[in-house]
Amino acid sequence: MFLKNRISYPTSLAARLTLWYASSLLLLFGLLFFSLYVAMATSFDREMNEDLLDDVEELQDIYQEQGIASLLREVNQEILTEDPDHFFIRLSETNGNAILQSDLSGWSGLLAPYSLYQILLTHEDEFYLHRIKHESLEVQTITGLISDDLIIYLGECMEAKTEVLTLLLTVSLVVFTTLLPIGVLIGRWMSSKAVSGIKEVSRAADKIAQGSLDFRVDLNAHGDEVIELIQKFNDMADQIRKLISEMREMTDNIAHDLRSPLARIRAISETVLSSSEAQQDYKKAASDTLEECDRLLHMINMTLDVAEAEANVREPITEDVNLSELTEDACELYCPLAETKQIKLSTHLEDNCSVRGNKHTLQRMLTNLIDNAVKYTPEHGEILIELCRSENDAVVTIADTGIGIPDPEKQRIFDRFYRCDQSRTQEGCGLGLSYSRAVARAHGGDITLQAQPSVSASPLSHSSMSAAMNSVFVVSLPASVMRN
Amino acid sequence: MMKILLIEDDQVIADLIVKGMKEAGYMIDHMTDGLFGLSAALSDRYDLAIVDLMLPELDGLSIIDLVRKRKLNLPIIILSAKRSVDERVSGLHHGGDDYLTKPFSFSELLARVEALLRRSSHIVEPTTLSFQDLTMDLLSRNVIRSGKKIDLQPREFSLLEYLLRNQGNIVSKTMIMERVWDYHFDPGTNVVEARLSKLREKVDKGFEFPLIHTVRGLGYVLKKQD
Repeated sequence: MFLKNRISYPTSLAARLTLWYASSLLLLFGLLFFSLYVAMATSFDREMNEDLLDDVEELQDIYQEQGIASLLREVNQEILTEDPDHFFIRLSETNGNAILQSDLSGWSGLLAPYSLYQILLTHEDEFYLHRIKHESLEVQTITGLISDDLIIYLGECMEAKTEVLTLLLTVSLVVFTTLLPIGVLIGRWMSSKAVSGIKEVSRAADKIAQGSLDFRVDLNAHGDEVIELIQKFNDMADQIRKLISEMREMTDNIAHDLRSPLARIRAISETVLSSSEAQQDYKKAASDTLEECDRLLHMINMTLDVAEAEANVREPITEDVNLSELTEDACELYCPLAETKQIKLSTHLEDNCSVRGNKHTLQRMLTNLIDNAVKYTPEHGEILIELCRSENDAVVTIADTGIGIPDPEKQRIFDRFYRCDQSRTQEGCGLGLSYSRAVARAHGGDITLQAQPSVSASPLSHSSMSAAMNSVFVVSLPASVMRN
Repeated sequence: MMKILLIEDDQVIADLIVKGMKEAGYMIDHMTDGLFGLSAALSDRYDLAIVDLMLPELDGLSIIDLVRKRKLNLPIIILSAKRSVDERVSGLHHGGDDYLTKPFSFSELLARVEALLRRSSHIVEPTTLSFQDLTMDLLSRNVIRSGKKIDLQPREFSLLEYLLRNQGNIVSKTMIMERVWDYHFDPGTNVVEARLSKLREKVDKGFEFPLIHTVRGLGYVLKKQD
């Protein structure tokens, strides 16, 4: 518990990378060392075993070819030449009587000749190799039969192996201890390089949060993944800056548009309070105030409706709405108004065009567009409303010979509260088009302002549109499957 | 005399409603919190209730739920500052009979109250509507004023019918849009005004006195000018 609390897994990505890097480096080195160690030890063992086997075979040959006297001479020779501390040899009879042996004082753990004989018999083998310890050194021993009653037993210290392996171990330890800090250093360097992009993004986020909306992260000298992150981050920052400036502008517009009716209400009340005694005047003031309040209310409601429509990115599919009827009703609603302005309102509506969606919002979208057309078309003008199917879409086109929209403003007319300078004199709050577009998009469609009005390649199925059309709005909505 | 229960915690709005309803010839009791309101609503002494949704102690929707659980057929008009379609649907779903968003005009509330009372009092639907020298036959769809036949378009007919059914009461632009066109929003431009001036030309022009009057800031009314 205590330990666990003190050594906790690092939370920083750089520290983790460092840790991973250093430990994998050390692990690799450990593996390398281990393999080397095993390979060397095995090779030493094999060499020693072969030497001893050669020795025994040589003695066997001498005995068989030259007899016991030569064998004894050869054994004696070995006793005289080898260091008795590192080498021993013992020739004995199988019943245990030693015939000739080197100085065995100081050697412990040697097996008795008789038991060796028994082992050879049970193993049914010519030789028997086994390992013993002598003064903390490993000793490889071998035993074998020279003849039926003679047994040879000899062994040699493996000091070369021990020395080399000890050296290897020492070198490894030194390398290991030097590698540890180097590994950590390299790990730190690599991880800091890897996360430097992330750190820059985080610094930029701080700066942006503190208000420097124009701050961006440099793209140079990073890996692809980090570059992608930085690009996305910069795009997001651009989007935020755009939204904020739009919002600032919108707030200004709202304030302006709300202030005007309030100013009028104030003026009305002030006038009637300061100058008039007649009940008639009070009544007029009250009804003027009501009208201004309704205007304010309409604007506030509209703002909320646009927000709602935009938040409902996709309108839940509710019902089949007959767009033909809806459009016809909306046109009919505006007929008298168009008549009073002596505007020629013509319609070409394809029957039984239906879409899936919300009847009320669609109704309102159409009404807004027609309302605009009627509002901005001067007397004796012309409005053409068409509904037709084009591939999988139901397309409503609303064209008018009205004041039109100047090119530089075309991009902005769908923005909330945006009103063209020319339209400022007309009643309205600059929300109708944003609402309509939000609704069309929520239904999987869109509203576009045709780029070059009066070009004949318009989607209008009936070419009755005169060349004088100044603004042409095209609503396209995914049509639902027709049911007859 | 019809008795109305008002459950509303905003004193200014309540005063306006109480005063207006009394002037319109109704008896009205006013409760300011949800619990008193509920016990009054369950007392079976009222012909209609006007319920605000945000109330102290017990909210309006719960009151409506509890009233409907008792199987009381009390007609209920919901008043609410929440204006989204969802809120309206949920209010009606809980058992409200009509939904009116604040701020509202009193004349609109009055018209809605009268329409609901008419509906709940099972008055036999007349086949003809008339006012002064104007008669409307709902079956043959003939409109006659002072013996002279007036030709109306279908929409003009519905509009006049709606005015006749609410004769003497001011009906607002919003109500006309809702009832005659089934449009539950304000299109901004006064399309109703344009339609009514067409209707006026047919119904009032050339006759002894006008029947359709505009009340500025409030709406329209069918009456004989004093």
